[in-house]
Amino acid sequence: MKKQTLANSKPLMGKIIDKQEECDDTYNFLIDLPVKNKTAKPGQFVMLWVPGVDEFPVGVAGYENDVLELGIAKMGPGTTAMLAKNIGDFVGIRGFYGKSFQTPKNINHLLIGGGFGMTPLKFLTKNLIERDDNLSIQIFEGARTKSKLMYLDWLQNLHEKDQIIFNVCTDDGSFGYKGFPTVALEKFLEESETPSVLYVAGPERMMKVIFDIGKKYENVIDMQMSLADRYMRCGFGICSYCAVDPTGWRICVDGPVFNTKQLEQISDFGVYRRLDTGEKQRI
Amino acid sequence: MSLITKIGSIDIRNPLILASGVMGTSYSTLQRIYNGGVGAVVTKSIGLNSRKGNPNPSVFALNEIRSAINSVGLANPGYQVFREDVEILVKNHVPTIVSIFGENENEFSEILNGLKDFPVLAFELNLSCPNTEKGGIQIGTDSEAVFQIVKRLKSETEVPLWVKLTPNVSDVIEIAEAAVNGGCDALVAINTLKAMVIDIHTKQPILGFKKGGLSGAAIKPIGVRYIYDLYERFEDRIPLIGAGGIMSGEDVIEYLLAGASAVQIGTALGVAYPENMIKFFISKIKKYMRENEFKSISEITGGAH
Repeated sequence: MKKQTLANSKPLMGKIIDKQEECDDTYNFLIDLPVKNKTAKPGQFVMLWVPGVDEFPVGVAGYENDVLELGIAKMGPGTTAMLAKNIGDFVGIRGFYGKSFQTPKNINHLLIGGGFGMTPLKFLTKNLIERDDNLSIQIFEGARTKSKLMYLDWLQNLHEKDQIIFNVCTDDGSFGYKGFPTVALEKFLEESETPSVLYVAGPERMMKVIFDIGKKYENVIDMQMSLADRYMRCGFGICSYCAVDPTGWRICVDGPVFNTKQLEQISDFGVYRRLDTGEKQRI
Repeated sequence: MSLITKIGSIDIRNPLILASGVMGTSYSTLQRIYNGGVGAVVTKSIGLNSRKGNPNPSVFALNEIRSAINSVGLANPGYQVFREDVEILVKNHVPTIVSIFGENENEFSEILNGLKDFPVLAFELNLSCPNTEKGGIQIGTDSEAVFQIVKRLKSETEVPLWVKLTPNVSDVIEIAEAAVNGGCDALVAINTLKAMVIDIHTKQPILGFKKGGLSGAAIKPIGVRYIYDLYERFEDRIPLIGAGGIMSGEDVIEYLLAGASAVQIGTALGVAYPENMIKFFISKIKKYMRENEFKSISEITGGAH
């Protein structure tokens, strides 16, 4: 029980050691953390403090040798300030917070992402390709247009090496097929005779659509979706601004990844979210 | 042996009450914590209108002192929206104390009147939030204002009124006296202590609001002292509810011995399984009562005097 008391701390100051443009308005950062032996798992997130500006949750894109990888897309004042940071600058990190994706053996791993949601899926992809007990690893990525596709080169390269199957699409047809990731996903599920687990991260409205699709297929044995883009303050379950109804689960601690059984109990999933005031807002 | 706890005219099933500001923004977390085993729950402080509070970072832990600092700043949906949550709680028989705050007497009155049709256990007047420019702590340090607010609200409702005191004054007794003279039904002490944390790398205060309030283990001895002082002054004239840094069942006992009739817990619940934490608290309290042959919580109250 002793370990349960506040196993976290004030922001740890990490130094940015690399910054690469990933796609339009999106950069990949490598941050050297001053701690040892702290492991992160795919699906977990950190609270990223941009000193003097804001603090917000970001899905972990990778963690190796005390170096944290984060993908940041321009969304508001906090992310904009982060994109202005350069190698050598310090930013604050709290975490790693939340529950990770659970990955069974001998199944098709279907990773579906949109926008910012691709960051935890990158980490998951990296972990899965190191294993030899997968039926297949498939990525379904969609974006408005080619320049908004995250990790495009990296995923294409893995596809060419036959490590994954990369299904890519854009709303405007500028890359991949024209349409939504659900088209390729449904096509696969219709034809597949083997069990699959869906891992989804992205806008909640998209996740709800995928959830409803997944429920139609018996070969989908579980769906795990990350609700990490809800508003959060503390990250460790004390403030509860991120809690869902009617269960009172805190996304930061009891999530952000929830499975099919849990998602079915969350009445606000895809319907409304709570704002920084605690008021409900339709999704 | 019974854990049933008496706070004035109210009985709750045990002395643990969820403190305001922790897991109290929506009915669902309050319901969850009540189901987890506490005797009653206090909502997040509710005001007249919706309020965003302060920018992030607004809450983080200081694990080296088993504490937390926050500058949430009374973020809340406003009482009209929050009515929906209160309605569900009372319908589900969750013993609910609604914490309210205002900038002046009239605001407190409007909120109280907007919520008083619900059979809540009590209203807790937050006269002590350290994280706002106006209201809260300013009112809570002015004994005349405290007297007037309590007196006015008392005349407008039959529901018990609790007053949450700030430790950020030189003489807490004077403020407490004003609340008691105004007619309050219980005193809650203490709210968070004024505090701040500065990052030495960037040379900036970490909290978005720069300054905040400290909760957790670091403030427990201070809270115990306040309760002890208040009990010395009032004895059993007014029930006292201890709050501040209660991280274990033993801490609960310490507050009871100092003079509290019940306690509020908050920061200790910032864990993966708050339900387990509550069970752990209860089992420790029971163990202490067994070993010391206490039959009821009220027998422990004030035992250190």
